[in-house]
Amino acid sequence: MKQMLRRSALFVGLVALASSLGLAAEDSETAHYANQVCSTCHGVHGNSPSSAFPRLAGQTAPYLETQLRAFKDRSRGDPAAQAYMWGMASQLDEDKIKALAKYYAALPPAHGTAGPAARVAAGRALYEQGLPEEGVPACVACHGPNAEGNELYPRLAGQHAPYLVKQLAYFKALQRSNQPIMQLVGQKLSFEQMEAVAAYAASR
Amino acid sequence: MSVRTVLKRALALAAGLASALALMPAAQAVPSFARQTGMACEACHTIFPELTSFGRLFKLNGYVIDNLPQVKAVGSDNKESLLLNWLPPISMQFIGSFTKTKGALPDSGTAGGVAQNGSASFPEQASLFYAGRIAPKLGGFVQITYSSQSGKMAWDNTDIRYADQATVLGNSLIYGFTLNNNPTVQDVWNSTPAWTVPFDQRSSLAPVNISTQIESLSGAVAGVSAYTYWRNMVYGEVGVYRSAPSGVSNSSTGGNGPLDSSQGVNVLKNGAPYWRFAIEKQWDRTSLSVGTFGMLTDYHPAGLNAASGPTDRFRDVAFDTQFQYAGDDHLFSLQASYIKENFTLSATAPDDPIDGAGDLKTRRIGVSYYYQRRYGASLGYFSTTGSVNTHRYPGGIAVLGSASNTPDTSAATMELDFIPWQNVKLGLQYTKYYKVRGGTDNYDGAGRNASDNNTLYLFAWFAY
Repeated sequence: MKQMLRRSALFVGLVALASSLGLAAEDSETAHYANQVCSTCHGVHGNSPSSAFPRLAGQTAPYLETQLRAFKDRSRGDPAAQAYMWGMASQLDEDKIKALAKYYAALPPAHGTAGPAARVAAGRALYEQGLPEEGVPACVACHGPNAEGNELYPRLAGQHAPYLVKQLAYFKALQRSNQPIMQLVGQKLSFEQMEAVAAYAASR
Repeated sequence: MSVRTVLKRALALAAGLASALALMPAAQAVPSFARQTGMACEACHTIFPELTSFGRLFKLNGYVIDNLPQVKAVGSDNKESLLLNWLPPISMQFIGSFTKTKGALPDSGTAGGVAQNGSASFPEQASLFYAGRIAPKLGGFVQITYSSQSGKMAWDNTDIRYADQATVLGNSLIYGFTLNNNPTVQDVWNSTPAWTVPFDQRSSLAPVNISTQIESLSGAVAGVSAYTYWRNMVYGEVGVYRSAPSGVSNSSTGGNGPLDSSQGVNVLKNGAPYWRFAIEKQWDRTSLSVGTFGMLTDYHPAGLNAASGPTDRFRDVAFDTQFQYAGDDHLFSLQASYIKENFTLSATAPDDPIDGAGDLKTRRIGVSYYYQRRYGASLGYFSTTGSVNTHRYPGGIAVLGSASNTPDTSAATMELDFIPWQNVKLGLQYTKYYKVRGGTDNYDGAGRNASDNNTLYLFAWFAY
């Protein structure tokens, strides 16, 4: 009996070890793909050095999945998406999309970078209150009190400010045309307001 | 005229032709990569052929990023044994041009002479590429080119490489191997000879500049090198080249051997070592690289010696830098290089205490600016200086001779570009010579002035 128990414990242990190894192998395959392909633009561990490309570390998984699907089916059509991501996402299957989203969501996000004080202050007011008279909702309502994002609403904290400005400009120009709320917001914001709110979000 | 003199002049002519070849338009960006990755040209290039940070990494990783449906096979160990694009990454390049020099080249009985000043070439050059992944970690850039000057198809720039990644001290390390046929064709910064910008397109007439060895070996050698790139910052590469000229028949067929130096080719003794080190730093959309490269070549010169005889030895040491800003609307870059060559002519001039050795230095700097990747202007200056040498720079040859037996040449070039689409470029280029082969007036001893070589060059470049 004792021996049987011991054997069972050993068996359970081996199964646990094998499955954990299996999981590790799956994760490392995703990590390897991310290092070999995605990191070329998005940086090692999702911290891109260039504001031409967004930081992905700590981004919410549902948002990343949605964007990868939107690149693949070409419903997100801003100029940078067309030039880079339509091609890159074209052969990703649903499993790989989920694995990549999970991989980047789990990485520690970049710290915020301080912007010009006056601009950040103006951005904070806009972020927390919106423009009620213009019908622009407060950013905080969806993107969270620290711009940390929430499910489908992306994390903005620690992002490159010029990247955020460019996305707002894409919404305004209806080039990134698969997000009705953000298109409305983009329509109402001036370039200065975009720069201010981006500087605030990037500083979080 | 003694046999020796004739031989010297023939050598000078060969050197002139070699520098003419070096000045021929270089290869360009290839739509093959766009087809394979599904990404636009602008991902890898600021303006072709200048690489962006992404383009540099794409190349160093072995040209393998691929977003096409694949033909696949796996072995019994479940490892991929075949990964092939459904469609081959093939593309085409076509360049047409018009070239006019200020003073017409002599049109009779003279090397480099033409019957018409203001010559059209259609095509000046046309190339076929296979560029892309070959196997999971293996990729290639292979170019075959027809040139109207030679009237032939010839093997052009080729770089086949294997690359992989590892993590060292918590940071990424790319490492790989390249097989190629032109020193620096494997390089990723556009301040080295094979892919120098600005002015990747140059008039193929008036080839009056004299090049160092490392700039003149395109297609005449085969080399292998190993490289590493750590933290996307520190690059190191060492390799070795052997003579591998094409177009010479093989001895097994009864013709001349491929390395028969009586056939007008310089043959490298043993292997020629090559090295390259560089550091790159990137800040947001700006990058700066500083590097050094060089090569040691030891020749049995064309027509002079058997393989066992003495050799002419050249040691090239170079420094280069590139600054690049790649914004959405504005692109700016600066490239500069300095190559110093020391040579001893133990084969060509065995008993000459004065001209048996010397040096040759080339300096090059260029800046370019493009607005919205559509309108561009470039400005560049080069200067070549070196010791007096009667063997390498003989007089008495129209256009390509030097009455003062010196290589000193300097010129400025400006270019205006219109790029209506990312794969079409129309350019207007003007090169003004301040000094050619040591002189401004009558530099060749046959009445030609340096400024007679000033060249107007119009070109249209298509890649598809």
